[in-house]
Amino acid sequence: MPEMETENTNSTTTEPVTAENPDEKQKKTTYAAVYDPECLPDMLPVYYRRLFPHKPFYRWLSYGLSEDGIFVNREISFTLHDDIYIRYLCFETQQEFEKELCTRCPFKIDIGAVMNTRPKNNRISAAAMAPVQRELVFDIDMTDYDDVRTCCSDKSVCQKCWKFMAVAANILDTAVKEDFGWEHILWVFSGRRGIHCWICDYEARHLDTQGRSAVAEYLQIINNAMGSNGASVSRVFIGERMHHSVRRAYQIIEPAFEEIILRDQNLFSSPKGIEKLCNFIGDEVARQETEQFLLNNVEDGAPALKVWEAFKRYANSMRCNATQSVWSRRLKNIIEEIQLACLYPRLDINVTKGFNHLLKAPFCIHPSTGKVCVPFNASVAGKFNPTTVPTIAQLLQEINAFDEKNKAEDEADEKSRIKDYKKTSMFKGVVVFEEFVRKLETSLKAKSKKLNEINMEF
Amino acid sequence: MDFRRKSKARVERKPEYENLEQKYKHNVLLYRMPPTEDIKIHEFEDLALERLKVLRILEQAQAKSLRFLSDDWKEYVHDELSREGLKGYLRLCTNGGNTAANNASKHEFELQARRRDYISHFILRLAYCRTQELKSWFIAREMELFKYKFSAMTPAEIKQFLDLHNLNYVPLSAEQKNAVKDGLIESTVGQSVAKIEMLDFYKVPFTQVLDLVRSRRCYLKDGQAYVNTHDFISIVGTKQLEEIEHGLKSAQRLIREVETDERLFTLLKSLHTSYTGKDYTVGKDVKVPIESIDQLSKKSFPLCMRLCHEHLRTNHHLKYDGRMQYGLFLKGIGVTLEDAIRFWREELTKKMDPEKFAKSYQYNIEHNYGKKGSLKDYAPYSCAKVIQENVVQGSVNGCPFKYYDQSTLKQKLAAAGLGTAHIQDVAGLAAKHHYQLACAKYFQVTHDTNVEVAINHPNHYYLQSQELMGNRVEKKSHAGPPRKSTKGNVSGSQSTQDYSVYMNADDDDELWNIADDTQKTFESSTQKPAAKSTDIAWEDDLDLTAIDC
Repeated sequence: MPEMETENTNSTTTEPVTAENPDEKQKKTTYAAVYDPECLPDMLPVYYRRLFPHKPFYRWLSYGLSEDGIFVNREISFTLHDDIYIRYLCFETQQEFEKELCTRCPFKIDIGAVMNTRPKNNRISAAAMAPVQRELVFDIDMTDYDDVRTCCSDKSVCQKCWKFMAVAANILDTAVKEDFGWEHILWVFSGRRGIHCWICDYEARHLDTQGRSAVAEYLQIINNAMGSNGASVSRVFIGERMHHSVRRAYQIIEPAFEEIILRDQNLFSSPKGIEKLCNFIGDEVARQETEQFLLNNVEDGAPALKVWEAFKRYANSMRCNATQSVWSRRLKNIIEEIQLACLYPRLDINVTKGFNHLLKAPFCIHPSTGKVCVPFNASVAGKFNPTTVPTIAQLLQEINAFDEKNKAEDEADEKSRIKDYKKTSMFKGVVVFEEFVRKLETSLKAKSKKLNEINMEF
Repeated sequence: MDFRRKSKARVERKPEYENLEQKYKHNVLLYRMPPTEDIKIHEFEDLALERLKVLRILEQAQAKSLRFLSDDWKEYVHDELSREGLKGYLRLCTNGGNTAANNASKHEFELQARRRDYISHFILRLAYCRTQELKSWFIAREMELFKYKFSAMTPAEIKQFLDLHNLNYVPLSAEQKNAVKDGLIESTVGQSVAKIEMLDFYKVPFTQVLDLVRSRRCYLKDGQAYVNTHDFISIVGTKQLEEIEHGLKSAQRLIREVETDERLFTLLKSLHTSYTGKDYTVGKDVKVPIESIDQLSKKSFPLCMRLCHEHLRTNHHLKYDGRMQYGLFLKGIGVTLEDAIRFWREELTKKMDPEKFAKSYQYNIEHNYGKKGSLKDYAPYSCAKVIQENVVQGSVNGCPFKYYDQSTLKQKLAAAGLGTAHIQDVAGLAAKHHYQLACAKYFQVTHDTNVEVAINHPNHYYLQSQELMGNRVEKKSHAGPPRKSTKGNVSGSQSTQDYSVYMNADDDDELWNIADDTQKTFESSTQKPAAKSTDIAWEDDLDLTAIDC
């Protein structure tokens, strides 16, 4: 039995208003298409009925039914209106899942692990229930970049800060592909300011806790330290040689550094930025000397580009001149280290380490922005624009407009042949998703064919 | 399962020389097949206690924050082993192969040592298979011992070891090696470029060398790790780990049956009585009123918790990890659930509305007290766990002696009222990564005492402080009813099961409880005149085949 874990507290306040002015509200959603969180409960039923890609979603989570219980033992959790949170749900078929989505209209769907038994039985057999498999997931959140972005902070995100995400996705995508050999990777915009990555290869799904934490730490190179001003600062330490994965990341970061950090963010502009720059230096004496040097030698108000050039010259000369100093040892890679510290993916590795950590499903609607959590292609992540991701309001308006237009000329049956989401700007996200699912199924088929052949030989 | 007493007439068998040679071919062995010979019950006990001593020495080394396999670590372990007269283990740990083959008496000594090592491992499996905490402790120590032994081997001995265990690894051909040469040079840590050219490399699935992957110490491509001869310690370590984990699982299945033998029962009890220690799941015996927390935090909280408290009081917020660490600590010192909710609500709602607190935060607190969700009563974090915490921006969890850089740490110490000289002492220890020693020093200074304390659990710190100040009589030792353990590990393979997180002092109490528990059952079941026969039974052989795990 699902459990109501949080009390419903303020459900009554909005009801009378909606009852009184249904027409006005209708206007709002159809014409302006400005998202209003108050309207979400009214829009979700339509969204789940007409737009949510039930079929490919099921095809993904059923993995061609390649393993026992892979769909039916999956923990799904719903967050309903007013933060009522229901864990340990599971579904027998695509139809049941679809029906539940359409009737309950969850504000949020979370995906957990595949268990060894039906998760809804957890109260009966809690001791015996254990996760069997789960996609390897990564979560990158824009708020972790607050110390290196000046354009926005906290919850807001613009196209400039999205570039951080694009670089991060790019680096992570290449790393898991090349170093770990995984290929079924789904990237999803989290609806507001972050991105999620789902790795769905068999080996990744079956990694144990130690395996997951090893992978997470392999991909995590940023350390948090306390800066001179008491603020937390991200640092990277390369050591003797750059590990190949770090070098590859550096090759992605280096060409983007100037545009993102120096021009867009103007991060190190004098004089405040100088302090920021010097905080990346882990040695206190060297930090003070550098700061003094830059303050003396860069004119007040100089842009980050100038400061950075001056810093590089200074660091290089210190490296060459003083062969036995901290500059030739611990700080010998400081330039590269700062670039990495600014742009290397900042992972929330606890999400990755947890075998049955719940993570928001793709195609959820983010309740406060109304945006769809659309999948995107990591290779063209730079072209993705979080500010133009369609909101649920916009989508509903689009299908209405489409239906309106075609009403006159179309026969009813012909119209129904066009999938609703194809009429909307969500289309691209669904295509990315379907393409991912298709590849996944092809490789699963090839694998089971190969397995059959081996079995035949015996 | 056969624990019947063998007839006394049976000729006492002393394991022969050749027999040993055959059975224990190498100083370093994988613990695969359980021993099948008969041993005397008192030898059973001796072997177990001897090994326990070794493992405890390793634990001490870890508690002293000595870096594993560093020179300091080796020196300490070496000294302790010889001080305790554990010559056999000393020999196994410092001589990889059978170097004494030409000296008959030395060789026999070595063979005997191998036998003791091998059998005792399997005996301890029986004692340590019962709970997750015990297992974790045992595995961590056994792996240290194994790696210590393994690290003493020369490449030739490693080869011998691999052959012996049918571990066939084929090195890359010159051609294959050439194809990945750049990656090898770039990413093989700890070897010079010239050395890398010379070394043999092997290709293994990355899951076999997780520790190398974790710390980016090898080249990785398409899920295959490229490792050299020196990295075999990782691969073989993983194998050994699997053997032990698997063995513990089997032992756990068999333990009830094994315990039907009264002699073993008593024995397992006597194995642990020398142990004392505490577990801090719930401070049941004493209730700490929440109003006294401000006072207590100044005097009796370790720095990590004190900072959490101060941060919470000033900022009215703590990030999730901080709430976990601090919340469980408070539970451990005896703050009731009701008080905890009140306390957190008062603070947090200064910055958020009460509804949000009720919805998003209260659940977590109740969860920690085992009232919601998985219904597990979670154990407070040990130092090992606190030190391993992943400290993210703006949070105050983790060990301050590790997390803060020198200047910040000094500020914090000064704020805590330490004088300059003391600050130097404490910060100096922290700089050398002796976090727990730094904490112990901090304890001494803040309590104005010279009592030597070993800190390996924040709640232990608190208790020691309270005892020192006489606020609290030493926790009544384990005469009370044995408490059923409901410790933190959540179902199966959840995140808490990371063996790199060494369990420290948490285990002994558990052992105690079990021993206590079992003894009670034993006593009640032996009201019958069975006691007489046990004396005779001591002299009988014990068939080890029966303990098949």
